[in-house]
Amino acid sequence: MLKTWAAIENAFCLTYLWRMAETAEPLVRPDVGHEEKTDSKEDLEPGFLVICWDDPVNLMDYVTHVFQAVFGWAKQKAEFHMLQVHNQGKSVLTRESMERAEHYVHQLQKYSLHATMERD
Amino acid sequence: MHLLRSEGDQFVFEVGKRETRLLQDTLKLYPLIPASHPQVTRSSEGDQIESSQRLLEEALAEQRAGNRKQLDAMLSEEGRFKPFKTGFRLTLNPQQVEWLLQVLNDVRVGCWLRLGQPDEKKGKNINLTPDNARYLVFMEACAYFESVLLSALEI
Repeated sequence: MLKTWAAIENAFCLTYLWRMAETAEPLVRPDVGHEEKTDSKEDLEPGFLVICWDDPVNLMDYVTHVFQAVFGWAKQKAEFHMLQVHNQGKSVLTRESMERAEHYVHQLQKYSLHATMERD
Repeated sequence: MHLLRSEGDQFVFEVGKRETRLLQDTLKLYPLIPASHPQVTRSSEGDQIESSQRLLEEALAEQRAGNRKQLDAMLSEEGRFKPFKTGFRLTLNPQQVEWLLQVLNDVRVGCWLRLGQPDEKKGKNINLTPDNARYLVFMEACAYFESVLLSALEI
């Protein structure tokens, strides 16, 4: 019984492989005119600054905490940037590609910080 | 409200009865920042900026909807605020503390906007009216609760 089943299985595999070798007419023709959207040079180059602006509402400890949470910075570095925001009105947090800058701005805004991305 | 203990990855806070009511009333205001308020950039040039702004608004809208749902679940969850002698015990894990910080700060910034964005440094004082006075209370309440949560994370 086992032997018979193995023979059937073998025959099935051969048929399958033989069919695989056939050149089938594609059901969907490739879209020759379609161009995949690729990231432009501008998107990939680190030409955007992520800036946090001072405001009188966010607590200093909170801002430090957010910098640590979003960028994974040590407390000392986070405090340095927080104080820069507080004393100088703004701090450039990082210089990134457009996509990465967008990501960081989203993260910072989720914490309701006043953060923007500006072309360098 | 103060941190009673942190055990494993759980923070247990003791919250007074009136504080609990204040916290719950504060959280009911979420979200308070108008959807159009966050700006992705200060510059006004380029189509890319427009699409970035749209992306930001969509991401924040999605986050707010999720937070609101989570908040409703938390406020109606039986046992989240466990009665204790002088108030309640609130147990949160670090992710929930992080999330609560975001929610409270949205309410804080939203209150500040409704108060006309007062700024002592620039000599712009709060123009209190019977309509907006409650936002001053909630703004300060948020600062208080945020400070307690931040101190807990420090330990």
